[in-house]
Amino acid sequence: MLDLLDLYLDGELEGPERAHIEAHLGECGPCMDRSDFQQRLRALLKEKCGCDEVPSDLMERVHDLLGETPTEPVS
Amino acid sequence: MVWESGGKASGTRGRTATGDDPVLKERFERDVLPLLPSLYSAALRLTRNPTDAEDLVQETYLRAYRGFGGFSEGTNVRAWMYRILTNTFINAYRKKQREPVTVQDENGEDWYLFDKLGESGVEASAESTVLDRIPDEDVQNALEALPDGFRMAVLLADVEGFSYKEIAEILEVPIGTVMSRLHRGRRALEKALWETVRERGLVSD
Repeated sequence: MLDLLDLYLDGELEGPERAHIEAHLGECGPCMDRSDFQQRLRALLKEKCGCDEVPSDLMERVHDLLGETPTEPVS
Repeated sequence: MVWESGGKASGTRGRTATGDDPVLKERFERDVLPLLPSLYSAALRLTRNPTDAEDLVQETYLRAYRGFGGFSEGTNVRAWMYRILTNTFINAYRKKQREPVTVQDENGEDWYLFDKLGESGVEASAESTVLDRIPDEDVQNALEALPDGFRMAVLLADVEGFSYKEIAEILEVPIGTVMSRLHRGRRALEKALWETVRERGLVSD
């Protein structure tokens, strides 16, 4: 199961639980390093796996879709 | 992979309720069109190739455009689009992958890349710099190698930044399942990245 650090980094903790983790990270170097690492890993995924260039023909295909004027009745 | 109704022709047939309504169409263009780049990236990670990814995105937009009239303004349009994307992917792909994902070490403990880097002599606080030296393609391959359910959970959380609740709604599974898939998916991903790090000689064994 996900641990507290995961929940914290995923933004799923609130109030006292969140404050508790933040206080601990503030005073524990090794946990802070681990937290930084897991955060960097998430950022890495976002950068490398979420920023592909959209092919221009796909742009056209999707825009064509919006330009369509329905001429046929629904079958 | 053959999509149920992929190809250019499918987008130009049939009635689209949205196309009949200028206000709806304008809202679609304003709220849904800008999502195209991130949906395309997600589609690439799901299908693992550009041709299928383009077809998947086109089919997603076609379904969304037709169904947009029933979508109420103010609700989460981004989550709605990802739900259509993942549903379309799952339906077209059909094959339910149930490959086991190994994410524990021999001692039954959870497997973390951070610990492996530390054990291999990477200095404290320098673990993150190793990550930056991993080639883009290797990161993409590591994610794309995960079985569907895990890949979708990690993609939606770590790449797209959705909350657990949103992911549960997109994938139509309980939050507990989201959390378990995220945990196992991330551990498997870190294991794959570790292989890369070693093969590329980014750490001394």
